[in-house]
Formats: sequence, structure tokens, C-alpha cells
Amino acid sequence: MHRLYLVPTLIINFVIVLVPALLTVVLAFCNWDGISTPSFSGLDNFRALFADSVFWSALINNIIWTCIFLIVPIAMGLLAASMLLIVKRGSNFFQVVYFLPVVIATVITARVWQGMIYSPVTGLFGILSRMGLPLANPLAQPSTALFGVATVDLWHWWGFLCVIFFAALRQVPQEHIEAARIEGANYGQMMRYVLLPAIWPTITLMMIMTVIWSFLAFDFVYILTQGGPAFSSEVLSTLAYRHAFYDLNVGQAAAAALVISLFGLVGTFFYVRLQAREGEQ
Amino acid sequence: MERRTLLKTGLGLAALPLLPRLAFAEDKEPVGFWYESASPENQDNLKTLLVDPFNAAHPQDDLSIDFRGSDLDKQLRIAMLSGSGPDVVYTAGPSYVASMAQAGQLLPLDDYAAKLGWSDRLLPLFTELGKYDGKLYALAKTYETLGLFYNKTLFDKNSWKAPTSIAELEALAEGMKGKGLVPFGAGNADWRPANEHYVSIILNSVAGPDNVYKALTGAIPWTDPSIVAAIDKLDEWWQKGYFGPNYFSLTGEQAFAQIATGQAGMAPTGTWNFTNIPPYFPANNAEAGFVGFPSTSGAPVYALGIGSTFSINAKSENPDGAAAVIDYVFTDKFYSAINSVWQGEWNLPLRDLSAVKLSDKVLPLYTEVMKNLSSAVGDGRYGYTTWTFLPPGTDSYLVSGMEEVWLKKTTSKDYLKKLDDTFKQEKDAGKVPAIPKRT
Repeated sequence: MHRLYLVPTLIINFVIVLVPALLTVVLAFCNWDGISTPSFSGLDNFRALFADSVFWSALINNIIWTCIFLIVPIAMGLLAASMLLIVKRGSNFFQVVYFLPVVIATVITARVWQGMIYSPVTGLFGILSRMGLPLANPLAQPSTALFGVATVDLWHWWGFLCVIFFAALRQVPQEHIEAARIEGANYGQMMRYVLLPAIWPTITLMMIMTVIWSFLAFDFVYILTQGGPAFSSEVLSTLAYRHAFYDLNVGQAAAAALVISLFGLVGTFFYVRLQAREGEQ
Repeated sequence: MERRTLLKTGLGLAALPLLPRLAFAEDKEPVGFWYESASPENQDNLKTLLVDPFNAAHPQDDLSIDFRGSDLDKQLRIAMLSGSGPDVVYTAGPSYVASMAQAGQLLPLDDYAAKLGWSDRLLPLFTELGKYDGKLYALAKTYETLGLFYNKTLFDKNSWKAPTSIAELEALAEGMKGKGLVPFGAGNADWRPANEHYVSIILNSVAGPDNVYKALTGAIPWTDPSIVAAIDKLDEWWQKGYFGPNYFSLTGEQAFAQIATGQAGMAPTGTWNFTNIPPYFPANNAEAGFVGFPSTSGAPVYALGIGSTFSINAKSENPDGAAAVIDYVFTDKFYSAINSVWQGEWNLPLRDLSAVKLSDKVLPLYTEVMKNLSSAVGDGRYGYTTWTFLPPGTDSYLVSGMEEVWLKKTTSKDYLKKLDDTFKQEKDAGKVPAIPKRT
């Protein structure tokens, strides 16, 4: 009888997750413009996708994006969280300040950076340029566009990690920290031998989730550059979106979505394994 | 609460969404019309100039407009696919019409056109453009053209004249560069497809509309030397810095404002920018000018663009009501009223504009340009905008690929080769919009 309680969740998962997921898999093998009746096309969509140089540059951009997000916000989050732990005064205030960008709508954050910071006409970069410090809009240069977008997402994202890490650090037994202090451990030693090992499961989980989320990166890229200039900031999700809604080539978009899912699946595999190991412990 | 009471209450609540439909069923039939985004002021304009007078004149119908935002085309595709959607279908252009008509989602309009006399009221080209497989499925809601806006005050001060040839345009651009001005006020930060405005201009002005027509109909490939030369010319202008250093940073409006402030000299762009003249030019004590974009042959070419179209949903429960709405829109009265308060978005392709009377507040330049465009189209002296005449995949690549040429990531020949391959695939799949025979 108690198994009946699972029914609502299963129905929701079936309708909202499983059916669209299966449809995406089917559509990846179909030729469909999103309007007329789909027709089976075998592996044509994958062939076309793999023959397209933009797909490979988008994949590389996703890998670069993942590397950036595995290092920069996690390092910033850990540093700030450990500082909040050590310097207790004002920690609540700084938690709010760090977390604030997370709760601001993505589009607002993106437009603020685009118009008030990067813009050569209305932004800080423009003001500095007029004052004799030439700063080019990173979104306008092919070599820096991806990093320009990643900077905005980092600003919006690292505070979340900081709060998560701070919550984990507060669970570290106080006597471990006190003992290290009495032993004369400095900040680096405290991190290396006490704090990081204690919150390692949280860090691992966040890293796995970062890999999954990085391959789903879409919103900031789409709002700030739409993948340009000249595909330099294109990632797999914006490529899939362009195929589906601009080229009206839903089959190829579904094929790109499947590639994204593959990376997500790898991340999910490690996530499940981690959870299982923790459960065993 | 008793179980029966609970059941009754539940059923009652579930029936609530049906109530408005039941209420209309007695005397009025609803007509749904989804519109894209519009400012609050323009939403009011549509209510007072279209919804209210239409409902007053058609007691049997109840027109309502739902503003669906900038993603209207995506919402529409999903709704139409599921067999629902509005009665009046507002598409993003002829390329969408071809796909929807092919899928049987639109009602043929031939009977309504004959009964309501649309063929007599509209420029013939536009009834041809709305056809698929010989049947009429769509009427253009607004048409536009590309040309050259300039700062007339700045030109007078420097004794410059509006260019009448490509050579004059280039000499003028070099002169502007010499004075520290950006020759073209242009930007695509908010709308990346703005690239195709310049590709459309160059194709018509350098390759010529006859060659573009041949490429669109498959008579010549997109790799034809005339088209390669046109793309090379556009690339040359980019490399010479005519588009300025901030093309990828400026929004279309910011770029247009630069000609009003005198930071840029000219803006090769579309007639929709007439709406940006009042906010920027008077404030800078400047007067705006507009000419057709010069061509290698001399005479300017009016590249024809259709921003959106009207059709009727094949699943509509009130197709007569939807036809009545379209019929109401294509009148001198509505044209005059809406264009008096909202220029650039409702340039309906009426055959005869002699009875149209716009408000005194409308720029005489706008009225003149629209009349010139109407007569150019009527005489067959028009060119082709890529967003109107190319199928979606080709058009999408045209936009992004041009940036690759500008930024030296590909050559114009390779760019056009890929464009041609994509076009051929879409042509074989029947995705190319109707291309009226060139007279």
C-alpha cells in the first residue's frame, strides 16, 4: 500500500522527464522542421553534426567553460567561506552580499554587465577608455567573448558555492579546528589538513554538478553574445537552440542535445556512485 | 465536508475555465489573435484602433489580442503543431508560411480573397508572395525596405551630398574617416541578425536584384562571381573600418543614435528606424535624411522585406471572423489610423495610398519614402531581403557566416559554398518561400 505514495512522483517524472527525453532520442534520428510530420533519417543528423566545424568549436568551448567553472568559482567560494569561518564578525552580512547575485534574474545580471560594465558607450569600460585607459569590450572580440560571458556567470555563481561551502565548514567539529589552532596550524595547514578533508564530499558533489551544469550553460551566452562573434562563444546548448529555432532543423538540435546528455550522464554516473558510497558509510 | 459536496465543488472549479466560452456561445464568437511584443502605448493603440472598432462593427465576433512577447514564433509553432493556436495566425515571414502551409496548418485564403476583394486592394506582388503550391495562404502585414539614413545637418555643414553611386559612397566614407567619424552607424549587440541587413544591401546593390533572383530560383549558384564580388565588397568595407570599432558592442538603437549625435555619418539600415528619428534627431538639433542605397548600376534598389504575415488557422472555429479581422486591417481607414501613431510596423501593402491620410505629426520624409517604395514595388523595381526570401537554415547561416568572413575565420568563397549547399538542401525539401516572377 505504501508504494502508492510513489505514484504521483512517477506520473510527473514520466510525463515531464521521460516522455520528452524519449521524444528527443527519437527526433535525433528524424528529419523534422518542428512544423510538418517527422521522417526517419537514420544517422544523418549525427553525420551532419560531426561534419560541422561549429559543433567541434562549441564542444571545445563547453570543455573550456567546464574547466573555468571547476577552478575559479570553487577556489573563490572556498577562500571566502573559510574567511567567513575564521572571521566571524560580519559573516552574515557578507553571506548576503555574496549570495545576492544568485537571486538576481539572469537577464537582469546579463543586461547590467552588457550595458553598464562592458559597453563602450554606456558602460564602465567606455568611461575608462575615454579617460585614457583603453579597454575593449570582451564580448566583441572572438578571442575573449567566451571569457567575457564566463566572467558574468562567475560573478553570478560563485556566491552560491561560497554559501554551500560555508554551511559545510560549519559542520566541521569545532574541537578539530581548536586542536589544530592549539598545535599552531597556520591558515594553509588548517585548510590542507582539517577543513578541506572534512568537507571533501561537498566539494566533490559540487564539482560533479559543475560538470553537468557546464554542459547545460545557455542563458548568459544566449543573452550576451548569442554564440558570436563568428561562433566564438557558441556552446552546445546555443548550437542546439539555433538549429531548433532558427534553422528549423529540430532533428539536428535533438542530436546536439543527445551529445550534451552524454556528458551529463557521465557526471550523473559519478554523482550516483558518490551518493552510494556515502550511503554505505 | 461531505464527499459529495467536495466532488461538486471540484467539478465546479474545473468548469471555471470553460465559462467565458459558454458566455460567448450565446451571441458572440471569439476571434483569437496572438501578437508579438508591443510597448504599453502600442498595446493601447491596437485596442483603440483595432479591437474596439472591429468589435463594434462586427457584433457577432469578439476579437481579443494576446501579446505573447518576442518568442511568438516559437509559441505559435508548438501551438499549431498541437492543433490549437489563435484564429488569426501572425507569422514571422514567408519562410514560416511555406513550412506551415506544407504541414496543412493554414487555411487557403483564395475564397476569402475573391469574396472580399483583397486582390484588388493589395499590391499584386504580395498576394503572389503569400502563395504555396499555387494557393494563397498569407498576406503581408508590413513591408519594409533598406536604404541609407544620414545626418542632413552634418552633410550640409561639410558640403557633402547624399551618394548616388557606390564610388561616391566610398569617397564619402573615406572623407568621414578622415574627420574622425565612423562612416556607418551600425551595431548588432541586441540583434545578431542585423548582419543580414548589410548582406541584403550589398547583394542588391553590387550583385544586382536580377542575379539575386536567379540565385533564389536556382538558375545560378550562390557561388556565382557576381555574388562573390558583392560579399568581397562588404568585407572590404568592414576591413576599411566603415562599420567602426564597436559593431559587436552597440545595439541597433545606439548605433542609429550615433548619426543623430554626429559621431557617425550614415546608417545603412531599414525603414523601421524611422521610429528612432523623433527621439534622437531633434534633441541633437539635427535633421535626418534618407535615400535609397546606391548601386553599381546607379539607380538605388529598394530591397523588399516582409517582417510578418497574416494567415488563418486551419483548425480555427471561426475562420470567417478571422478573415473579417484581416479584411478590417487592409483598409485605408486602419492604415491611416495606425500609421499616424505607430510608424514602421504597419506598412500594409495597399495598392493605392491616395486615400491614406496620416497625422501631421508623422515625418513627411516617412510618408514620401513609403510612397516611393510602394510605386517601386508596383513597377517591379525592387530587390530582395534575405530574411524574406531565403529559407530558415540558409538565412541563419548567412547571418553567422558573414561574421566569420569579417573576422577572417573563413573566405567569402567558402562562406558562399556552405551557403549554397544549405540552400540546395532546403530547396530540395521545398522550404524556399514563393519567389514571384521578375518582370
